Amino acid sequence: MSTSNVPALRPEGALAAKSQAGASGGEFLTFRLGAEEYGIDILKVQEIRSYEPPTRIANAPDFIKGVVNLRGVIVPIVDLRLKLGCPTAEYNSFTVVIVLNVKNRVVGAVVDSVSDVLELAKDSIRPAPELSSSSVDTSFITGIGAVADRMLILMDIEGLMSSADMGLMEAAVAAA
Amino acid sequence: MADMSSESASASAGIDLSQFYQVFFEEAGENLDSMEQLLLALDVEAADDEELNAIFRCAHSIKGGAATFGFSDVAELTHQMETLLDKLRRHELKPTTQMVDVLLQSGDALRGQLARHQGASSVVVDTSALVSSYKILCEGGTVDLKAVAAPPPPPAAAPAPPRTTTARLLELRVGPLTDMSLADNLVELFKEITDLGTIEPLDAGTAADGYRRFKVLTSSADNDLLDLFTFHVAREQVHLSAFGPGFGFHEGAPGAPEIVEDKDPGYGFFDDAPGMPGAGASGTTEVKPVETQAVAAAPKAAAPKAEAKAASMDQSTLRVSIEKVDQLINLVGELVITQAMLAQNSRGLDPGLYQQLSSGLADLERNTRDLQESVMSIRMIPMSMVFNRFPRMLRDLAAKLGKKVELVTQGEATELDKSLVEKITDPLTHLVRNSCDHGIEMPEERAAKGKPEQGTITLVASHQGGSIVIEVRDDGRGLNREKLIKKAREKGIDAPDSMSDAEAWGLIFAPGFSTAEQVTDVSGRGVGMDVVKKNITSLGGTVEIDSAEGYGMKVSVRLPLTLAIMDGMSVGVGEEVYILPLSSVVESFQVESNTIKTVAGSGRVVEVRDEYMPVLAIEEIFAVPRFDFEKTSNIMVVIEAEGGRVAVLVDELLGQQQVVVKNLESNYRKVTDVSGATIMGDGRVALILDVGSLVRRSRH
Repeated sequence: MSTSNVPALRPEGALAAKSQAGASGGEFLTFRLGAEEYGIDILKVQEIRSYEPPTRIANAPDFIKGVVNLRGVIVPIVDLRLKLGCPTAEYNSFTVVIVLNVKNRVVGAVVDSVSDVLELAKDSIRPAPELSSSSVDTSFITGIGAVADRMLILMDIEGLMSSADMGLMEAAVAAA
Repeated sequence: MADMSSESASASAGIDLSQFYQVFFEEAGENLDSMEQLLLALDVEAADDEELNAIFRCAHSIKGGAATFGFSDVAELTHQMETLLDKLRRHELKPTTQMVDVLLQSGDALRGQLARHQGASSVVVDTSALVSSYKILCEGGTVDLKAVAAPPPPPAAAPAPPRTTTARLLELRVGPLTDMSLADNLVELFKEITDLGTIEPLDAGTAADGYRRFKVLTSSADNDLLDLFTFHVAREQVHLSAFGPGFGFHEGAPGAPEIVEDKDPGYGFFDDAPGMPGAGASGTTEVKPVETQAVAAAPKAAAPKAEAKAASMDQSTLRVSIEKVDQLINLVGELVITQAMLAQNSRGLDPGLYQQLSSGLADLERNTRDLQESVMSIRMIPMSMVFNRFPRMLRDLAAKLGKKVELVTQGEATELDKSLVEKITDPLTHLVRNSCDHGIEMPEERAAKGKPEQGTITLVASHQGGSIVIEVRDDGRGLNREKLIKKAREKGIDAPDSMSDAEAWGLIFAPGFSTAEQVTDVSGRGVGMDVVKKNITSLGGTVEIDSAEGYGMKVSVRLPLTLAIMDGMSVGVGEEVYILPLSSVVESFQVESNTIKTVAGSGRVVEVRDEYMPVLAIEEIFAVPRFDFEKTSNIMVVIEAEGGRVAVLVDELLGQQQVVVKNLESNYRKVTDVSGATIMGDGRVALILDVGSLVRRSRH
């Protein structure tokens, strides 16, 4: 999609920025984990469901809550709050599961709440700062999105979910 | 065992092999399609080994099936294709576009042959030109594509079929056509091939009935003409007749009798079909009205076969994609869960007040169960569907090889998912052929070794440890370790002397690996085991070989239960529910904690009727959290797998039910001691325990 001549045909300002966003930035689903706000590529999201207690899988890492039945498909549930080191992870009526479709697999991610869908222009995305966190892998943070006074942590959810230490997929699949 | 084999042998004698024809035709069609796609995608300059192997496998599969069902013409042509492809994938020849063209044409010829065997067409496909061009290509020569382009015209070397030397006037009717311009292609054809004759349109080309009529002056035989025309229009749309006034046929009109003489003997008939009234039919054609003669003769001759075909079509099958069935099964699963939920919620209602509602819910429950059962049964078919193919195949094969072989089958009633049955058939066929061809020795050799002259091939199917295991055993010569390793090195495969027997046996799965000295029609190109392994691995299964030289070999194919239904026993531990495959449950009983004794401080055993059995507590294996500390596991379920028994400690037995085995690995990964998952009536997921792995765990 070539957008080079599109801004010229439109008035300067917000509209032009928006059309550019569609080409480079994209739409992000934003959700909260504790006090932090995250954004992931909307195209990876299959659906959003309320949390229901999954069937525990023995000897799995604590952030893998277990598996649930999603219309006849067995889907593993990952608690992103535990994975990303949030201090608390409560399960209440606001707790939601974002059902993701990554690498042709279906995975559910537990988050505190889902906020909205935002369109971000490329120039409103700043590179991810170098963080020296020992407990949480920050390599899946692709950038920081600034929207008004909000700060969105943009995440490569596909990379995160298929990473080896997630233990969601067999090594062969994760590498594919 | 002896009884069983004689039973299955007598059963096979009564089996009409034609019930499998349709399967073969469908498979062959699919193979041809994929071969064509692969050929078209093939980059001649830089041919990928994997692609060449894939093309080769297509041809090999068709050959295998054709040989099984006795379609010798198909087998012959595919054998030639295979020889060429084999040279290509061994890099003995470099692929050329010419080869691809010849291969593609062969694909078309095969389609024609298959159509004829199916009774859909009556054209006897002449493949002698193709066959001879393969011979030239295989020697590294080039062929004149013109000669091959029209398969039926005889190659220079082949004896020319009888044909008239004098030109004849024919009327050509083409139609009904949807696109009239197609017929113009025929005119072009005459322009391109100058010695074919001349063609003149008889009508303006806008005939209302969709037919185009031409006047053709030619010296070629009808047969040749028809085959040429079919490059542009479908065979059924071409009608050739002697040219006469008013398009009719007048006996004695010049040219008419010639046509009959010109025809290849047996043209239009199934000359290899038994009992075909070939002579009679050709006698009747002579007085048939011209227009129908070429076409009508064939259906007439084909009639007996076509009728048989129609009869088998009555109990017709419908090929539906597995995805659709899966979708159906999932939907029914959802329905069952919803129904269970409704039933649960309505329990608190006063039956007096809501009598109609509760009777409606009862109906719903019954209907749902029936629906679920019927939907499930769509996919399940007994292994006998596969096994029944083999007695006949083996008999023919043994006769061809001059060997004496007896087939013993066990566990034919083991039900297997349809998709698995379809996919396991080819690999099993390869394995059985291999056993007969390579494994079983000649009768004299067997007698010299002190074995019975008659070799035995045993096929066993069983459910085992959450898998389906199919074994192909023979009491033949077995594998020779040294020979395998030597051969592997010749092929450039890394094969150190230190490799274990199992690894050495595994060498035969390498592509292009064959220890047979001779390449035969049956096997020996080494493609079989390659395909076997590939197909089984793609199903998520494993193949194991066990062999003792001089005593035979055993190939065990282990397949996971992808969508098999299983009778399960649900057991409760803490708040959790696990499923044990009912087939592996031996007994269950309540135990006092003091009957469980420890051995060497760690392992625990329980005495059951003078037998000490290892004890495994589910609570510990799966680290089940306890909220109610009063409760303890005091129910023992004895399970059996892989020849071992263990006692599993659980809290309670919840009941027996049929469960649909769902794959955990499709979205998650393999979980130790768990073979799959299922969805319970309340919509929750329950894990199915892998009995085989539990038994193995107790051994370490």
